[in-house]
Formats: sequence, structure tokens, C-alpha cells
Amino acid sequence: ISGVNYVTLNKTKGPAVWGPRAQIDRDLYKRHMQAEILGTSNLTVTECAVEDLILTESQQSASSITKSICKGVILSTGEMVESKTVVITTGTFLRGCINIGLSVRPAGRIGDEPAIGLARSLEKAGFTMGRLKTGTPPRLDKNTIDYTQCGVTKGDNPPEPFSYLSTDVWIKADEQLDCHITRTSLEIEQIVHDSLPENKHVKEELSGPRYCPSLESKVLKFPGRTHQVWLEPEGFSSDLVYPNGLSCTMPAEYQQRIINLIPGLQRAKIVRPGYGVEYDYIDPRQLRPTLETLPIENLFLAGQINGTTGYEEAAAQGIIAGINAGLKGQNHEPFIVDRTEGYIGVLIDDLTTHGTNEPYRMFPSRAEFRICLRADNADMRLTRKGYKTGCVQRARYESACRMADLLDSNLDLLRSLKLETYKWDELLSRASSRPKGKVKSAVAVLQMVSIDELIKVQQTELGHLQSDRILKKRLEIEALYMLEIEKQQEEISEVRKDELLVLPMDIDYLRMPNNRGLPNDVRLKLAESRPHT
Amino acid sequence: MTVIGHSLKMLQKTCKQLIEKLLSNESYVRNIRRLICLQHKKLHILTYIHNTRTRKPMVATTNQSFTQSSSLVKNENKLDINTSTSSHQSTIFCLSSGKGKCGIAVIRVSGQACRQVLKDMAQFHHMPIPRQAVLRKIVDSGNGVVIDKGLVIFFPAPHSFTGEDCVEFHLHGGPAVVSALLCALHSIPGCREAHPGEFTKRAFMNGKLDMTEVEGLGDLIHAETEVQRRQALRQMDGDLSQLYQGWRADIIKCVADLEAFIDFSEDQDIEEHVVESVKSRVGKLRLEISRHLHDNRQGERLRDGVQVVILGEPNVGKSSLMNALSQRPAAIVTDVAGTTRDIIETHLNIAGYPVLLSDTAGLRDTADKVEKEGVIRARKRAEQADVKVVVLDLQQWQNCKNNNRKSSITEFVISQINSLGLQLYQASASSLQILNADLSDSDSTPQLVDEEYCQTIIVLNKLDLVQGNTLEDLKSIDNKVLNCAVGSCLEAQSGRELEPNSPVDFPSVCCVSCTTGEGMQEFLAILESKLKIMCGDPLAGSPSLTQARHRSHLTKCLADLEQFGQMTPADDFVIASEALRRVLREIGKLTGKITTEEILDVIFRDFCIGK
Repeated sequence: ISGVNYVTLNKTKGPAVWGPRAQIDRDLYKRHMQAEILGTSNLTVTECAVEDLILTESQQSASSITKSICKGVILSTGEMVESKTVVITTGTFLRGCINIGLSVRPAGRIGDEPAIGLARSLEKAGFTMGRLKTGTPPRLDKNTIDYTQCGVTKGDNPPEPFSYLSTDVWIKADEQLDCHITRTSLEIEQIVHDSLPENKHVKEELSGPRYCPSLESKVLKFPGRTHQVWLEPEGFSSDLVYPNGLSCTMPAEYQQRIINLIPGLQRAKIVRPGYGVEYDYIDPRQLRPTLETLPIENLFLAGQINGTTGYEEAAAQGIIAGINAGLKGQNHEPFIVDRTEGYIGVLIDDLTTHGTNEPYRMFPSRAEFRICLRADNADMRLTRKGYKTGCVQRARYESACRMADLLDSNLDLLRSLKLETYKWDELLSRASSRPKGKVKSAVAVLQMVSIDELIKVQQTELGHLQSDRILKKRLEIEALYMLEIEKQQEEISEVRKDELLVLPMDIDYLRMPNNRGLPNDVRLKLAESRPHT
Repeated sequence: MTVIGHSLKMLQKTCKQLIEKLLSNESYVRNIRRLICLQHKKLHILTYIHNTRTRKPMVATTNQSFTQSSSLVKNENKLDINTSTSSHQSTIFCLSSGKGKCGIAVIRVSGQACRQVLKDMAQFHHMPIPRQAVLRKIVDSGNGVVIDKGLVIFFPAPHSFTGEDCVEFHLHGGPAVVSALLCALHSIPGCREAHPGEFTKRAFMNGKLDMTEVEGLGDLIHAETEVQRRQALRQMDGDLSQLYQGWRADIIKCVADLEAFIDFSEDQDIEEHVVESVKSRVGKLRLEISRHLHDNRQGERLRDGVQVVILGEPNVGKSSLMNALSQRPAAIVTDVAGTTRDIIETHLNIAGYPVLLSDTAGLRDTADKVEKEGVIRARKRAEQADVKVVVLDLQQWQNCKNNNRKSSITEFVISQINSLGLQLYQASASSLQILNADLSDSDSTPQLVDEEYCQTIIVLNKLDLVQGNTLEDLKSIDNKVLNCAVGSCLEAQSGRELEPNSPVDFPSVCCVSCTTGEGMQEFLAILESKLKIMCGDPLAGSPSLTQARHRSHLTKCLADLEQFGQMTPADDFVIASEALRRVLREIGKLTGKITTEEILDVIFRDFCIGK
């Protein structure tokens, strides 16, 4: 109910990588989220800085890596808040520093104080920590932009809602705000180079990500090109425009000069300059797959503090840490999503086993079983699991079950609907190439033709699908990937065979740590195999 | 420490139980999920171990911000390392030279206790200069008794075979000396005798060798003939590995480009032509791999030995030929037709090529049950042969000539071979037939679909028993002309089209006498040239495929590359990229390295991406 522009990304490249995206109105989002949180029964909300943790010695044997147990937090006012579990999500605030040009000032975000006391507490508790940096672009005044020189991208029509429970989004398709696109010009390169001596953020070779979030790194790594700039509105009632692609940390006057060299932005005014942020993160290899920390029991961490970006990655961790903190408080089994179940699993598994030294961003290529991890089947993958844990409402669960039944029965129907190949070709009036005799099921045919064509030629059997747009789409997608998924199943069973042979050896490897990092990993791994002990 | 050791053991046990439980459990899908997870983790650990030496630890530059671990954690880490040295990362040793009395015995030690070994047994107070042989008295540290005087060489990590600290002792090769040294090593804490192949395993684990190199090393150790040695050495040196790594790098680049296109083309700048360029590169790769696969199994043959089978009618002198070749009475020879019943095999080294020579029962229709089975086996073996040696009896020709003056030698040979019912032109390996079928199905690489023909030598035996003008006739025949005549006759029969440029394919004919040895030199020369064709020159051209394992992985690669090649723009890119990702996994299985992180590395190196 806050989106201003809905687009499904990658629409041309196959449903496995479709990415529904919505741009959100900042004010509306804030208002709606706060209303939701404050309206939740049995929830007390306190707003205050956290300075320290309440810790007690762990009762476990000295050899355990769990050293202490978290019993709550101490606020900057000195007040103690006791709790069974604690989730920390500091974002970029943990000893955050803001860089614009050569000026550095401690802050988590423009206008907000950093969390320094908490960083010290974590350090004292024995966490290995590192430092990362990120940045944000300058904000522009909407009224000073000449949109006639820019390309336009409208929202999808019809806009796709995120939730399986919604059939429409809250606004009409043509009420969506437009996004605009322009490009940087080559002349900006000189300005970037000129600004470098006055740019502390770029000079320091501090754990910058390999992908290039800042304009400076784009120019330095890929000279001689122009780069895309998306002009994204921040909301219906906001005059701010977020020029996606222009993150930079140079002094404000250089930023202004660069902006004014870009088509459409010649007269644009910077409302707030872009800046870079440096902040502490903890080595995520010190986390369990529930995002509970290894050194401190009952303490959960989520978001940028674990070395990820602050976008979807942070949200995903927030869900897992939150759910598990709740479960642990009630002594329930933990909730873990594994690599084959969702990107969340890939994310957390990568973090907790590999660690990271750049803000970790999720890419579809990180998932081995990507064709199973699709936006269209998230309800089949996760809703049941979530419902069992208690984090999914009954209505959602029932809707997912209904869909599962429908999918199953209709896929069975399609599988059982077999005809000889040439008959299919005749029906669908396709050029017949194959010799007679081969029998093909409707599922196999669906890999080549659209479901509407199929329904047209098989009215009696499939006519009932005609009106169900969502079900049709999903059947089509399932059929499209069925063959590929079967191949993956083969691979999986191959792995399974290997597993029989290799695992004892594997344990050997576990016992051969080659450096300090490994023992923790090993424990982690073992902890993961029996996560509730 | 013992507590940790104990708890680790417990965890290990639980882990095993868990796996067992998983495997026996019926909820299949769930199991699979967990198993993949486990497998994945194993992979992580493996790559982790692999990378520990090369990979940078978590980067942190600002001094004050990078936190030192508290003393508690430090102690804890130390504890872990200590336990690992004593119980997990044992130091291994073994006698590396052959067993038995010999001039010099080499004993190798690898692991963290090497420095202790040098201190205690070679009595170094300071570590010796790396990789320099030093003459020392070697002492049993337990009782102070001198074992022997010998050379000691220290190879500090990582510049050693295993990548760990290594020590080599070169002592006198008496069994007592060796066993005393091994005993002394045993008594040093943390040292134990190595399991077979353990040194190499450690080298692999530490990233010193990849899979094909390990295999090359194994082959080198087992190489019995000169040409085998050359091929193995080349493989161990990483030639094959380089070839595969090159392909792997190509595919990684292709996958990365495609992934970048899938993930970022919309909101970042990635041009459409990326896909086209991937397609053309995949096409090139496909051609290279199929060429590599189409080496007529030369490398594998050289590694496993060339199958040479002697065939012919009963009592034409097959077993005599076998005995003459192996220079020992391997097979029983009598003048009774059908003496040889079973297949008699012997390993030979002919001009550096390994040969598995088989003598077979004479081919004829017979009522004798045992002999019948022998004939069946002989025919079966003939199908697997790389080189067929067909033995004919010259006396029979002499008889023919005496009865019918017009019978030429060519006619005789042809009629004999026909009466034996031998297929001289056929693909020999069934695996290759399958491969060919795959290839010809796709119609995309027709120039490579050449069948494999096995080589044939026709031996006219009993030269010593031919007399008079028959002998003179024989002498007057030009072998080359005869070869061609016989060859083209046979080809015409088999219905195969004549290839003017392939005289090597023609069977070679030669006359010998197994009794006197006449003509044997000539026969050997022909056999040698045939072996050369079958095995190829391991040093020339690109390295050849040496193992069926490689062939099977590469064949899978090829199939997936084909699948990718058939993709049209209308198809789902994700499915196309899955095919490429499978290729990458298969190649990874070849060299033993797999990682998804590399794909991202390439994406970020080559494309400008970021919000």
C-alpha cells in the first residue's frame, strides 16, 4: 500500500529470474509500517539508543565457543531492558563515519548519531570485526529536472502485487509514478579525477565491493564509458529525486558540477549531497544459521552488521533473526531455510561459511538451484514451513494449500493427457517434423506452446482453466522447468551416491583445520547438522 | 585438549548417525535437501581448505576498528590448533623408494612435526638451508643410538611436494637401516606411517596438484614402457590440466557473461551482443572438445595397453607367433589342430608401447564343446582388438597353387579372410559408437564423425616350409602393391567408400617363419608402426585424453554445450544458462575445482555493475 511504481524485472528472460520490484513512497511506508508495528498487540515499543548488553557467563564447558549469554540491553539512559533474546540490527550505525570530500564525521546516517558504545561492547565480547563502506547519491529537486531530455519507464500494466493474497496492487496502473533514465556524459570523468585528491572515501582502499556502487569507482574501473542514471521519485508528496547510479563521496561542489553535465539535469539542484559511510561489521562466520551469534547465546544479529548490503539482504536476515529470536524465547525448534529452499538460505549459508569482505549482495547466480527458487513458487517452497513454525497466518497457509492442490491435480491431468506427436502437431497446426509413433504428454507440449493455445485445442479436458489467469501462468512455468528440474534431481541423486562414499573422508577434512578460522567453521557446520543442540 | 578431542569425536559420531538416518529415512525430498546442504558445506570446506593459503582473511584496515580477539578467544584458538597438531594434522612418513635391499633408500616425512624430526633425529640446532642436501648422522631420539649416516634435505612449506614442511632422508638401503629409521620416526610425537597415496592426497588438498595432475603422477609411477612414461610425465606436468583449465576459464567467462546479462541487463549497461558472443565462443569450445574426444582413444590406449589379438585358422602357427613375440613358451605349441582353447594373454613392451597380446583358439566349426567355446571367445576378443594379427598358412597357398595355377596371393588372402568370417572394418569400442551416435544425431560436427577402424596385420606364416617357384613368386611380390590390392578388395567388400588418402588403414601383409625367425624383424616393424598409429605420439600436438573418466565427463560437457547451441533467442535464457552451468560442474569434476564465486569475480571484472 506504499508502492509508487511496480515493475517486474527481467520479464524477457524466463520466469526463474523474474524479479518483482516496487518503488516505495518513503512517507507512506513509514506511516504504514509504524501503524502496523504500534498496532500489534502485546508489543511495547521504546525508542532509545542501546549502549551495552547485559551478559552473564555461559554455564557450558570451557572448551565451548559460547562464552556468555545475553540477558538484555542497557540503554543510553542507563535503563536496563531485560529479555530472553536480543536482535541487533545496527545498519551502518555501528561506529559509523560519514565522508564527504575530505571531511569525516561520526554518524550512522545524515543527521543521526552513530552507535559507538555498542561497538565497544561487541568488541569486548570477543567478536572479530571488520569495516565496510557504502554510499548514497545526492538527492535532487524534482522541479529543477528537465524530464523531456530523459527516457521514461512506466510501471507495469497491470502491476503485479508481491503477495499471493493480493490480486491487485493498491493503486491503478496509470496512477503509478514514472521513472526516468538518462546517462552520464564523458566529461564527468575529468571532474571525478580532479576531485580525487579531495576524496577521502575513495582514496582509502577500504573493503570496497567488487561491484561499483559509486560513480568514482565506475569511472576509475571502466573509463571511457557513459553510465546509466535512473531518476527515481521518492514518493507522491516528495519533491526529492533519487538519482540511482550517482552515488559519490566527492566534495559537494564537484557533485553539483557533475550533475549539471548530465542531460536533463543541467539546471538540477542538489538538495542534499551524496556521501559515503564507513561502519563496523562482525565477521558473519561467528553466526549460526539462525543468525544467533556463536560467542553470545541469545544474541541475534541481522542486516549490515553481518556484512551485507542494506536492501533485500538485510530484510531477509531480519525475518530469520526475528523469527528465531522469538522461537528461542519460547524454547521452540529453530527455523532454518536451506540453500535449496530459498535465496535466504543461500544468503545465510554463504555468510556463515564463507564470510565476506565486501557488502554481500544477492545475485541469482549465487544459487545452485535457481530454477527451483522462483518468485512464482515461493508459497510452495516456504509457506507450509513458515506456518508450522507459526510465522505464517492461517489464511495465507490455506490459500497456499489450495494452490498446491490445484497445481498438483492439474499437472497430473496434463501429464496424463497423452497424444502422439504428430497429432499434437496437427492440433496445434505446427510443422510436423518428427516421425510418427512418439507419444507426448501435454506437459511436454506446454514446453513449446503457450497454455492458451493448448487449452484451445483441448477444450474438453482443459476448459476449466480458461478463466484462472494465475493458475494458467503457474502451470505454464512449472511445465517449462520440469525437464530441467528433473535433470537437477539426477544430479542430486548423484550427489547422494557420492555422499555415501565421501562423507567419512569429509569428516577427516573437518579434523584438519589449516588456520584459525576453520575450527569455528567446523563447529558451525556440526552445529548446523544438528541445529537445536 | 582431551575434552575437545572427545567432544569432536562425539560430534563426528552424531554426524555419521545423522547421515545414516537421513539416508534411511523415507521422506525423500527432505533428505535430498539436507544432503545437498551437506554436500555443499563439504564443498565449502574443501574450497576453504584450498584457499586458505591464497585467500586474504577478512579485510580490515582501520587499525583501531579492527578488533583484536579478546584473550579468551585467543586461548581458545590456540587450543584448537594444538589439538589439531596432535590428533588431526598428523605428520606422516613412509619409505618412498622400493622395498628390499638396495643401495640407497629414501624416506619422506611430511607435516608439522618435521622440524622436530630434524632437531631430534638429525640433530640440527638451527633449521638447515632449505632444499640443500646435508650429510648427517641420523640418531634414534629415543635411545641416542646412531642409525646411519646419510643425506638430509629439508623442504619448508609451502615449497614442497605436499605443501607442508617435508624432510627427506637418503640412507643406505639395508632393510635393518630402513626399519630402524621408521621405528625412530614412530616414536616422535604426532608422527605416523602414511596411508597409500596420502602424500599425494595432501598435495591435492593443499592445492599443489589438481586431479589430472594427480592422475598423471599415478600413471608415471605405474608407467612400464617408455612411451607411457612420456605421456604420464606430460600429464603430471599439467599439460592436460592446462588444457582443461583453459576450457574451464572459457566456460566461466561464458557463464559469467550470460549471468550478467540475465541479472543486470535491464538496469545496468550490458549490451545484447554479449549473448551472441557467448554463443560463438561456446561453438568454438564445442569443436575443440569434440576434437579432443575424437583422438581414437590414443591416450587411453597408451595408458591401458594396446589390445593385439592373434587370429586365424587352427594350426596356422598363432601360438608359435605368440611365443616368438614374447620370447618365451607362453602358449603350448603342438601339431594338433585346436591345441589352444582359451585365450592366452601376455603383457609385452614393444618399442616402448605397452601391448596386451592375446593368443586365441583357431577359428573353425567344431563339434568339440570346449573348442567351440574357445572359438566364441576368440571372436569376442577380436571385436575388442585394437590391432588384429591374422595368421595364414603359406603351405595352403602352395597347395592351392599346385591345384589351380592361376590363384594369386591376393586372391588367396581375400578368400582366406572371408572364410574366417572376420570383420576387419568396424568400430572397435562400444563407448565410441555411442559417442558417434550422439554426434551424428546433432549433425553439427559432421567432419568429426569418422569411425574408428582397427588396424590389421596379415601374417603369412611357415615361410620355411614353402619351396620352389612358390617361394620365388613370394619374393617377387612388392609388399606395398599387395597391401593396396588386399586393402581395396576388402574395402570394396565392406561397402565402404575408398578414401584415397588413407593407405595406413590398409592391412599390412608380411611373410614370416616363426620357426626360423625369418621375416620377424619386418613383422615387428609393421606392428610398431601400427602401435604408433594407435597410441599417437604423446609429445606431439595437444595432450591426449588418458582416462575413461575424462571421456565421460567431457562427453557430458559436449552434450550440454550442444543443448546450449540449439537454444534460440525465443527460449528461456535461464534454461540455457543452466546447461552451461552443468558444463562447468563437469569440467570442475575433471580438475577437481568448483566454485560459484569465480563467476561473480568475472562478472565484476568485466562489467560495470552497481546501484
